[in-house]
Amino acid sequence: MIMDRVPEKLSGRFYFPDSSAVAEAELRYQNNGFRVTVLETGEMHFPELRELGDRIGNVPRKIYFTDGSVFECADNDAVDLAFGKSGHFASRLTKAEGSWRFVIVATVVTFACLFGIYRYGIPAAATFAANNTPSAIISAIDSGAQDTVDRVLLDESNLPQARKDELTVLFNEVAEASGHKDPPLQLVFRDGGRIGANALALPGGTIILTDQLEALAKHEDELAGVFAHEIGHVNERHSLRQIYRVLGLTFMISLIGGDSGQIVEDVAGQFVLLETFSYTREFETSADTYAVKVMSELDRNPMAFVDLLDRLLDKYGIDKDRETSWLDTHPVNKDRRENVRKQIERFSR
Amino acid sequence: MNYEAPPEAESTRLNDFSFTGSALEYFGIWIVNLLLSILTLGIYTAWAKVRRQRYFYGNTWLDGHNFEYHARPMQILIGRVIVIGYLVLINVLNEVNPILGLILTIPYLLALPWVFNKAISFNARMTSYRNVHFNFRGSYWRALGIFIGLPLLAFVPLGIVAGIAGIVASGDAGSAVFVAVLLPIAFLAAILFIPFVSRASTNYIGNNTSFGDAGFSIDVGLKPIYANLGASVLFCIASTIGITVIIGGLFVLITGAELNPEAVQNPLNNIGTFALFFLIGILAYSPFILAYLFYSAGMRNIAFNAAYLDGKHRLASRISRTRYLWIIVSNAAATILSVALLRPWAAVRTWRYLTFNTYFASQGSLDSFINVQEDKGNVIAAEYLDIDGIDFGL
Repeated sequence: MIMDRVPEKLSGRFYFPDSSAVAEAELRYQNNGFRVTVLETGEMHFPELRELGDRIGNVPRKIYFTDGSVFECADNDAVDLAFGKSGHFASRLTKAEGSWRFVIVATVVTFACLFGIYRYGIPAAATFAANNTPSAIISAIDSGAQDTVDRVLLDESNLPQARKDELTVLFNEVAEASGHKDPPLQLVFRDGGRIGANALALPGGTIILTDQLEALAKHEDELAGVFAHEIGHVNERHSLRQIYRVLGLTFMISLIGGDSGQIVEDVAGQFVLLETFSYTREFETSADTYAVKVMSELDRNPMAFVDLLDRLLDKYGIDKDRETSWLDTHPVNKDRRENVRKQIERFSR
Repeated sequence: MNYEAPPEAESTRLNDFSFTGSALEYFGIWIVNLLLSILTLGIYTAWAKVRRQRYFYGNTWLDGHNFEYHARPMQILIGRVIVIGYLVLINVLNEVNPILGLILTIPYLLALPWVFNKAISFNARMTSYRNVHFNFRGSYWRALGIFIGLPLLAFVPLGIVAGIAGIVASGDAGSAVFVAVLLPIAFLAAILFIPFVSRASTNYIGNNTSFGDAGFSIDVGLKPIYANLGASVLFCIASTIGITVIIGGLFVLITGAELNPEAVQNPLNNIGTFALFFLIGILAYSPFILAYLFYSAGMRNIAFNAAYLDGKHRLASRISRTRYLWIIVSNAAATILSVALLRPWAAVRTWRYLTFNTYFASQGSLDSFINVQEDKGNVIAAEYLDIDGIDFGL
């Protein structure tokens, strides 16, 4: 700091202690103390400094004193010089905020960061968090989810015990081949009720097979593939990763436009919903890949479960040949078949 | 509304509020705030909030003096950490045991009046004008009655009808008609009850707020609030018709060709269709958001125009409800279409409109207000409402 540029006095307004009364005044620093002179009356005050307010924009600076009086000065640069604050954070910040060069660079860097976080940061952080979530929390979520699913969607299974035992043996074979250990896997049987032919994986390792899907299967390998796919969801912790990704995305959006009001919030909510669909599509493909790996190791037919899926779509009269849209939670079957075919080639090599 | 000056008119001056901030200048502050918030993984948001508030308050002028915001970033940060910790805990509990989550609503509702009081108090204490701070001193029981009791009361008829509907759900056609008649009546009763809640909360906040040693006083009548409600309901109906036409057009355009009746019957098997219905559901909900904004703008005028400071100075607000709504809606559109780049411009635009349509008619000198050290409020309560998006007035 250049000493000779330090102003000998600051001109401004003086607010009397704890009062709205105000007068034009000058502030000087002499003999290690402050002196305020009220211009009109010549009245003098010798207050003690409590704090210098931070600089922001062109807002007049406030200097607070311990007795509740305040000196206000519109010349921010002079205040910075007088207090030796030019190099301080808030003053530097104000200069940066006011420089168009810096602002343009900051804008580019900010949006590059946001894109990077959105594209790579959030998925990576979600995977890391999912892998480091204690099993106790997962199994607690799991029992809650199991209760809800049983109450809302499913009924008791009507499969004969012998068939259940048979499928449990098959399941254990697939589970062992997958090499998955924690959290422990468990197969349960339910009547599909409203969701019909389906299989679900809960984050804590419980895999639900509905009677309707069992009835649709024509070959053991089809169900083995379904098991391997669902074990893939558990092994790669897809539901947790989904939760963390949505959390991260919501947090990022609130950072950018947190105070933008209800309408923006609602639209952003719709965007998050669409994003979650793209996440689930990604996870389905990943679980398919996992299934191919396990099935190849077992020397079972990795393509079988896609045939089962085709039959499932036929049963519900859903068009098999349409393209995947951004409102789909699962990729369409022809895309899945294509991916499975590619993965088979990869694992057979 | 009586705009005449009180009888002992000693030099009445009408002062305009004004705003000296600019969108360009605020853009710099906003982008630096955003950048530092990203680089610090959100920690800087507390500092960012203080800088934003100080910019808007500091550039808001009345009679040659500006306003000030005094909260400390560290305070805000601690408040935010505690609030977020609490929200995470509640959500995890809810996930693990929904019943327990339901039971916890009761202590939550009982704590809410305290939270409201302390939050309003904190925000008032952190605001000053001419070296004098605002204060708010609430009462737990009155806040409980106004913010929890009255709104619950409004829903009693709806609850009764819903209960009857539940009982007769499996019954004959006659009882279904009975419910179909009762439900709109109960709904209407809930809407007609809104002015009582608005009046009570406006008077409660107004009469317990003070500027230094001088109190605000306010007594809004039911008549203007009902007029405002009537206009808002008409507006809601009109915008519902408009939005229905838009949604109908969109729906036919997007899905008309490939809508699969079987998939609609079993939406869980085609979540895409399900999601589309959800999307349209949200759009269909927008007339209520718009009508709510319309109503709040009217309430701001009513409240300000009925408020006195120290029994003699008067406040006035003359915002146009439709103009305000236009600003909010076009701001939202600009913010979204520009991927938030126009957010600073939008924030300045709204604030400028509000300040330039607010007035203060002073009687004599404003030199004699004395600052009073009062209950400082609670930063955690204030941050809770901030993060949860609960806002009192405009």
